[in-house]
Amino acid sequence: MAVDTGLFVAVTLVYLAVTIALGYLGYRQTKGDDDYMVAGRKVNPVVLALSYGATFISTSAIVGFGGVAAQLGMGMIWLTVLNIGLGIFIAFVIFGKRTRSIGSKLHAVTFPDLMGKCYQSSFMRYAAGIVIVIAMPLYTAAILIGGAQFITSTLQIPYTTALIAFAAVVTLYVVLGGLIAVMYTDALQGGIMLVGMTVLLALTYVQLGGIIEAHTALAAMSDLVPGTLAAGGMTGWASMPAFGSPIWLTLVTTLVLGVGIGVLAQPQLVVRFMTVKDSRSLNRAVLVGGPFILMMTGVAFTVGALTNVYFYRTGGEIALAAATDGNIDTIIPNFINASMPDLFVVIFMLTLLAAAMSTLSSLLHAMGTSLGFDVLRRTGSQGASMKRIQAATVVMIVVSVVLAFVMPGSIIARATAMFMGLCASAFLPAYAHAVYSSRPSLLAAKLSLVAGAAAWFVWTAFVHVKESAALGLSNLLFGVPAVLSAPWQDVDPLVIALPLSMGALLVGCALDRHRVHADQDEPARAA
Amino acid sequence: MFGITDPAIWVGYLLALGFTLACLVYGLLNWNKGTEEEPDGS
Repeated sequence: MAVDTGLFVAVTLVYLAVTIALGYLGYRQTKGDDDYMVAGRKVNPVVLALSYGATFISTSAIVGFGGVAAQLGMGMIWLTVLNIGLGIFIAFVIFGKRTRSIGSKLHAVTFPDLMGKCYQSSFMRYAAGIVIVIAMPLYTAAILIGGAQFITSTLQIPYTTALIAFAAVVTLYVVLGGLIAVMYTDALQGGIMLVGMTVLLALTYVQLGGIIEAHTALAAMSDLVPGTLAAGGMTGWASMPAFGSPIWLTLVTTLVLGVGIGVLAQPQLVVRFMTVKDSRSLNRAVLVGGPFILMMTGVAFTVGALTNVYFYRTGGEIALAAATDGNIDTIIPNFINASMPDLFVVIFMLTLLAAAMSTLSSLLHAMGTSLGFDVLRRTGSQGASMKRIQAATVVMIVVSVVLAFVMPGSIIARATAMFMGLCASAFLPAYAHAVYSSRPSLLAAKLSLVAGAAAWFVWTAFVHVKESAALGLSNLLFGVPAVLSAPWQDVDPLVIALPLSMGALLVGCALDRHRVHADQDEPARAA
Repeated sequence: MFGITDPAIWVGYLLALGFTLACLVYGLLNWNKGTEEEPDGS
């Protein structure tokens, strides 16, 4: 480890003190349920943009997906294209404004609550809540693993201690301060991330002799692609894999499409649209959000690929060979520790800590409100119970911590892609229908949600070999790791499940002649 | 372009920068649009 531990501990303590102070501010400003659940619907647009971005970008994006870029190359930049185009522009302009307006009118305070009220259906609320309560802990566990791995490698403290301390600090301010605390701390963390990633990009190019020289050197390394990756279709780190090859399918369908589209229907992001008072705030947030995401994933993927040049020049090996125990999640931390001055190592550590904390706090809040407010609420009851939600938040973090201990270490990017794929498959068509149709069909939404979630699960458990082999269900029932052969076993579940979910929605709309009105005040909503 | 020879990569970079620019322009053009009293039509 390059950095002085004392310096990092001192900086971290200052950072934690500010974080706790912002959490306390959130606690003081939380007077009622609306404050706890949707931050009082009066959040500043810059805070919204930074909070959305910092939630969106976790250690998964920087460490996990940066590691994937180190392995597979610059083709990951296409995920940045979707992150900005879909994840910011379309999300805010097309979905955000309608979600804010309808959420405010229906007094919705969570994503499942929004779905339930748009469709006037407790089924939709329960179903969305249950999908979140079951699936989100997997993603949360991946975030915990990423954060704890980095704290462990930096401070050289036991992994168990790092994981539990990390979870405890975040739980403290989420439980006490609700969404106001989460968004204030997110904004601080987003600011730190922006500084850290900007410096990382600049220092990497300086280290490698400039932009063009670095890229040229990377392109010239194509002969060094390991045989196993070359056999899978990889052509180099500055070029796309061979079209249709297994690696191309993984890159395009799982990483680019799976994560790029999946972000549109993530409950912890959707709820942020309901925290601002008007569309003007969303317009302003777009201006901050686009550049922020470019500086996050664009930098992580570019630097990730360029670590190959650094490791080859300094040690004669590619980045994959420099990974600790072959774990690609360690490539970015190893690169930073090996190549950067002490002071900047501290900034990057703080960046990664901030990235992990901002995503973790938002997931905790979404899981806690889903369990405590949406799933455990009695039918017909409108009131929220803050104590029940706080207790549910603690339950969900305990479940996530337990999962983090049993899940494999090299899971960060894959768990992120799986969660986003499931969200898009289960929720996206029904969510779009809810906010854009003046007469949303409950039957269509039910069919879409069930078909999307079921198709995603079946393809994950029985066809997509990277998950089905690990889950073991296919082997147990059929004696093979995947029931279909290549190329199908390399196609991401989202690519199959999302079109099926959309098809089910269209079929449901055609069948349903008795659509519900999501709002009594129809003309106002359509305006 | 910028030392990258595969168009499938540098087009990706151009698009990422282009979408970022679009976000900036959109935010500036609509900076004061969309208050509760003044629907922005979207």
